[in-house]
Amino acid sequence: MAARSMADPVTRRFRFRGRARTASSGDTLLAALAEQELPNVVRSVRCHRPRGPFCGLGHCTGCLVRVNGRPNVRACRHVVEEGDRVETENAWPSPRWDVLGAIDVVFPRGLDTLRGFRRPAWATRAFQRVGRRLAGYGAVPDPIPDGAPSAIAHRWDTDVVIVGAGTSGRAAAEALVRRGIRPLVIDRALEVIDIPGSDLAPRTTVTFLPPPRPTAPRPFVLLGFEEPDRGVSIRAKTVVLATGGYDGSLLFEGGDRPGVMAADLLTRMAPRGGRLPIRRAVVVGGGRRAREALDLIGPSVTAVVAPGEISPDVVRRASELSIPLYPRSLVVRAVGRSRVRSLDLRTRGQDTRFSLACDTVVLAHRRLPNAQLLFQADARMVWRPDPGSYFPVVDATGGTTVPGLYVAGTVAGFAADERGTSGERAASSAAGVRAETTPTAPGAVDVSADLGEYYRELLKEPRTGKWIVCPCEDVLLEDLEDASKAGFRGIEVMKRYTGVGTGLCQGRYCLPDALLLLAHLEGRPAPEVGYIRQRPPLVPTPLSALAVVHEEFADNGVT
Amino acid sequence: MTPLRANAYRTVVVGAGIVGLFTAVRLARAGAGPILVVDRGFLSSGGSGRNGGGVRQQWETRSTIRLAREAVSDWRRFGIEFGYNIWFRQGGYLFLAENETELGRLRRVHEIVRSEGLPSEVLTPEEVARRVDGIAPGSTVGGVYLRSDGTLYPFPAVWGVYETARSLGVEVALGVDALGVVARDGRVEGVVTSEGTVRASSVVNAAGGWSSEFSQRAGLSTPNVASRHEILATEPMKPFLVPMVVRTSDGLYFSQTMRGELVGGLTVPHAPGTARGVPSSPRFLTGMARAMVGLIPRLARLNVLRAWTGYYDDTPDGLPVIGEDPRLAGFVHANGFGGHGFMLAPAATRRVAAAVLGEKVDLDPEEFSPARFLHGTAAPAVERLQLG
Repeated sequence: MAARSMADPVTRRFRFRGRARTASSGDTLLAALAEQELPNVVRSVRCHRPRGPFCGLGHCTGCLVRVNGRPNVRACRHVVEEGDRVETENAWPSPRWDVLGAIDVVFPRGLDTLRGFRRPAWATRAFQRVGRRLAGYGAVPDPIPDGAPSAIAHRWDTDVVIVGAGTSGRAAAEALVRRGIRPLVIDRALEVIDIPGSDLAPRTTVTFLPPPRPTAPRPFVLLGFEEPDRGVSIRAKTVVLATGGYDGSLLFEGGDRPGVMAADLLTRMAPRGGRLPIRRAVVVGGGRRAREALDLIGPSVTAVVAPGEISPDVVRRASELSIPLYPRSLVVRAVGRSRVRSLDLRTRGQDTRFSLACDTVVLAHRRLPNAQLLFQADARMVWRPDPGSYFPVVDATGGTTVPGLYVAGTVAGFAADERGTSGERAASSAAGVRAETTPTAPGAVDVSADLGEYYRELLKEPRTGKWIVCPCEDVLLEDLEDASKAGFRGIEVMKRYTGVGTGLCQGRYCLPDALLLLAHLEGRPAPEVGYIRQRPPLVPTPLSALAVVHEEFADNGVT
Repeated sequence: MTPLRANAYRTVVVGAGIVGLFTAVRLARAGAGPILVVDRGFLSSGGSGRNGGGVRQQWETRSTIRLAREAVSDWRRFGIEFGYNIWFRQGGYLFLAENETELGRLRRVHEIVRSEGLPSEVLTPEEVARRVDGIAPGSTVGGVYLRSDGTLYPFPAVWGVYETARSLGVEVALGVDALGVVARDGRVEGVVTSEGTVRASSVVNAAGGWSSEFSQRAGLSTPNVASRHEILATEPMKPFLVPMVVRTSDGLYFSQTMRGELVGGLTVPHAPGTARGVPSSPRFLTGMARAMVGLIPRLARLNVLRAWTGYYDDTPDGLPVIGEDPRLAGFVHANGFGGHGFMLAPAATRRVAAAVLGEKVDLDPEEFSPARFLHGTAAPAVERLQLG
């Protein structure tokens, strides 16, 4: 490896835990670290359980590392640069052999920080000292060396901003360009393929701040940042949200084990040539995303398991690859510690239990909308039991209930084959032109089962280890059950009582499950359990990037 | 929702925040039931679920210092008494001065606090730097510090008093709005709620940022004004900062919670009482970020995780309102805490309960009395250290 790096000018040399490593130019740190084995770079807070990369989108806590003295860098979002110093977090002496991992064994029900550690009173200070040590992932950032560039601000003033450069976002942008409008297209992706006639802002995440109000005149104000440190503020007369979707998590025992991952991780790694070391994968899901997972890692897949039915498309592809199918199955338990070794399943409605040997579990069963901005904008949303999520109310023009705010594609609940047309329709409306395409109501989204009913069945399974609902904060299923039994009801109170949804992903992964679980525990429909609107900024944002755009908001009367 | 008993309450408490629930516990322990607590939101939806968890005893007024001191000893016992661990960590409050004028003001606070028997210290810039790792050189001329001040985790405190209140027979009705008061001959006879009218001989206004609204509904005008304040929390970190840091010039404050986040706010001028329901402002988020990085430059690469908003219930003299309203017998105020109701609640509610029971209130009653706003005379004391 070292020899190759010296000969090849396009490799990057970096140090990982003090040891020299190399990466290809343009590789993310995760891709570089995943070359030989699935990286296990961090332990969870509280229980110090081993964690591996899960989402590949920069939201989960599975690939946090310290890079050049900066804590909590998501390895999946960091493109390796020559000379990077990479350290691991929240583990000693290493994430693989972490002394505090003993907590996980000694406390099978987790640490009871709500009621525990109160007695004896004289030990309060000692409890607090230890408790503080257990909290947090990384340590405070290193001081910035002299001469390091400080954060800069970037301001955009535009007619139309399109958030999301996926299929529908691109279709919207191209439609606007055809009408002679130059849209600004922003996307969280590290790279966005050029859209001629548009301004592009990759690596950029925004939030409505202040939120649009029905009474306030436009423009919309969006505040955000371009990774890693550039502050961004945008003013736009019209906004098209094409933020797409993400693969949701699934609750089962050991579901937080390294090797369990969202299908997004595969699709995000693929364009950059990133290969994950996967030998035997079980794909969970029977719809479009399962099919896409088969296309990416088909030869390594040993089984397709679905909570509900499996679509003919997936059946066809799986039979071509001679992959066995297990429809209507409960995923009960992942066995393994620093990597999954097998998956225990049960056929729904039957006593048949079986186990599949695997090193990877790909969750492709539930595509959820990236609807955070819609909630922030106070757009009217409706609950759809499949996939168990909220979608915006959309009119025939692609408009939401917020004037000037349009939606397209997956976030609006349109099926995969409607993404392009929904993008064009939203763009036409955003340009003030009557839609050329025939309006269609949002169709079926990718989902293979009623998960509410699925969880009702799953919760009857015997438990032998931790069932983690919220991996960011190590919140257990039992924590929700205990709180519910004690009379605390609704997701808002449950969040404050158990910490579910308060972690680094701000509930992207745990809340959709928590809503269904609470609906079951409280014996009422999920919409009555409530919803938590993500708080600004929608993704963790460096203080420097926010500080640098302050001038704009200091004295303009915006409160 | 269990139906409210139409005829049987001795006291109805409006507001199921820390003040309302603590009041209910105090009354129930005194055997003064039956008690009903109503709140139109969910548990911890108001200021009790939105504050930064600071607990301090450094004030300009002796009455507040004494109240806070009593509250500190209550919070220390809370875990044993109420069954929930609030992780009350006494890491001190450190007030920073940017210039000699501010330091002079802090020295006066220090003198008053010391004369009350609390070991407040005046710190040099070097001593400040030892307590605040990475503070920008020249950003302060010194500060005052009291080690026994601290921070707690507010939520478990709410759960603890809620469960205790219920175990003492208090009914807590959430999602129920208090619409008005039934009065006859200048006496409270009942409370009108969104679930019907209930009879009660006294009502406690513990509605926090909504207190003046409820007083108004009872036909009583009060000078209380709701003001909007915002807070942000960073990603959690390993232990970095021990004390709560407060800067007097702009009201910047933050501390590191037991979960490792830096949590704090900044005084941003907002029109009082406006923009209810607006979650956050860019002015606060960016201004707070700039203030934090300015004070501790190494925080530049730390991530903000979330920001949120709550309401202070401010009074003209910065002191709370505790006691029976002279205009309506049985209407007892427990409000106007100006953003400091959580920290003072265990002690303040002893006085609230005493006022409900008609017992003598021992601690500076005239300074907290609702009567002070009715005579048109200047208040005897003013608390201006409304920071943090």
